[in-house]
Amino acid sequence: MKKKRNITPVQWSLFGLSVVVVLVLAVALFRGEGGEKIKAAAEVSPAESEPEPVPPGEAKTVTLFFLSEEDSLLHSEERKILAGTSIGGEAEQVVEALIRGSEKGFVNPLPPETRLRQLFISKEGVAYVDFSKDIMEKHPSGSSAELGTVYSIVNTLAYNFKPIKKVFILVEGSEKETLGGHINLNQAFVPQFSLNAR
Amino acid sequence: MIGAKKTTRRLASLSLLFFSLLSFAAAQPALHVTSQDYEDYSRVIITFPSDLPFTLERDGSLLLVKIQSRLSFRLRADPVQSRLVKSFNWVKSNDLFIVVIQLQDERFRYDSFRIERKRQLVLDFYDQTGRPAGWTAQSPPPPAPPESEIKEETPATVAAGIPPELSPPPAKGIRTIIIDPGHGGLEVGAKGQFGTLEKDVTLAISRKLKAVIERNLSFNVELTRDKDTDVSLGDRASIANNQRAELFISIHANSSYRRNANGSETFFLSLNASDEEARRLAYLENNSANLDRPIDNESKDEIMMILWDMAQSAYLKQSQRLAEIIQDELNSLLGTKDRGIKQAPFKVLTGVACPAVLVEVAFISNPEEEKGLVREDFQQNVAQAIYRGLVRYIKLMS
Repeated sequence: MKKKRNITPVQWSLFGLSVVVVLVLAVALFRGEGGEKIKAAAEVSPAESEPEPVPPGEAKTVTLFFLSEEDSLLHSEERKILAGTSIGGEAEQVVEALIRGSEKGFVNPLPPETRLRQLFISKEGVAYVDFSKDIMEKHPSGSSAELGTVYSIVNTLAYNFKPIKKVFILVEGSEKETLGGHINLNQAFVPQFSLNAR
Repeated sequence: MIGAKKTTRRLASLSLLFFSLLSFAAAQPALHVTSQDYEDYSRVIITFPSDLPFTLERDGSLLLVKIQSRLSFRLRADPVQSRLVKSFNWVKSNDLFIVVIQLQDERFRYDSFRIERKRQLVLDFYDQTGRPAGWTAQSPPPPAPPESEIKEETPATVAAGIPPELSPPPAKGIRTIIIDPGHGGLEVGAKGQFGTLEKDVTLAISRKLKAVIERNLSFNVELTRDKDTDVSLGDRASIANNQRAELFISIHANSSYRRNANGSETFFLSLNASDEEARRLAYLENNSANLDRPIDNESKDEIMMILWDMAQSAYLKQSQRLAEIIQDELNSLLGTKDRGIKQAPFKVLTGVACPAVLVEVAFISNPEEEKGLVREDFQQNVAQAIYRGLVRYIKLMS
């Protein structure tokens, strides 16, 4: 009887200890596993980014899409960018080229004051493109203008970079409802290639 | 730089997940919500974890307690046992944590007061449906009313063998069309070079359209705003849904970077769904029985979002038909260039649970069309064209 009484608390503390040990192990395992996954993901994306690899530093041709007021379709223009080591860097150059605007007299999708703040691509293939507030403040805010802005960006990115499946537009780092009261920005856009002129 | 950012984000989210697993719910401050019925009112008490600024907003059968907080809370709600309150829910957006109190009926009145010392908000709800107090399916039938000509069916009369008609809608047979004048208040919409504001044009056209429908059809017509005020895009859809609208017409005037852009076009919603979303919807359908059980913040937000976005998806075919007919009438009556019907992900249309279109009448950014848009006769023609389209559509569907 006496023995039993003495053992119970010991058993308890042993049990408690083992629980702690298991938890600590779980933490270590969990963290370790997570870390490995992150590494793997980071290694995968650049490999995927170049279907026809151009060596870094060399010129690479990309296709930009601009809205035409005549037929309400997106028309292509080619540009050269510097091939980079990551798809993100190349996508940034492409968006900056869109901000500089059309060379053939099509509609410029973004107010010229707009700055690209940052661009990152999630593992799921969503490109988050973060613009300065000028994209809203200097925007003419009609349905047509908003559609032109959104799908110039979305179609251009998805057309040039296969891993980009969707595009999420952010303003000053956060999600906005619309640019000017029309097109829903609370979602990632799937490209609408039917808007591209043939 | 991007890689590092990604890594940090991942680490952050992993550790967040881990902590939420470990500490389960203990880490998040809790909002405690209770409900209790009294003789002629139902009382809801919300206990805050700290002093937080909030506002109350009524929306149909919902009362929203909008708490200003970047943090999310754990909503500890006791099981709802109330004849007026149906459920508690919550939504988190950027700077707001919103407690959603769903009432059984939109006909209610409420009083609110705060007990500072206990950090409590007390809400007393009063039934305005005209049903006798204490009427519930479970409770024993109330004593027979003194006057025998009471219109509502009470359990007593049902028991007496009169065919039950439990919903005595005062609005029975009344059909509603919602007209949504684009923009409003501080949100002026597009501006013309002569200073015309889109919000003024859309309101003027909407009023004319309401008048012409009411003169000719036995429809109840409501505007989402009948003066120059801000109404959020989500609220516009809510107004339509709460009124059980049969049709929703949003009126806008277009604008572009180019002055020469011109013409009119009619939009309906494009869904912008990918395979992944289709999968999530399937998941939601399979698990909808479990929706009552607490779900973690992220998936709850996602579910709310999907449900909200789904409303219009059930009506896309009808919306397309309505758009075609209205566009046809605009072409023949207005003389503006036919830009056709188009599909686009308009915020205002996503949550509307009935056929819904958005009409872009001419371009306010085009000086010629701007001059037209402010003219009474032009506005009247727009109203007439849309009205004719509505008549054709209603005939087609009946």
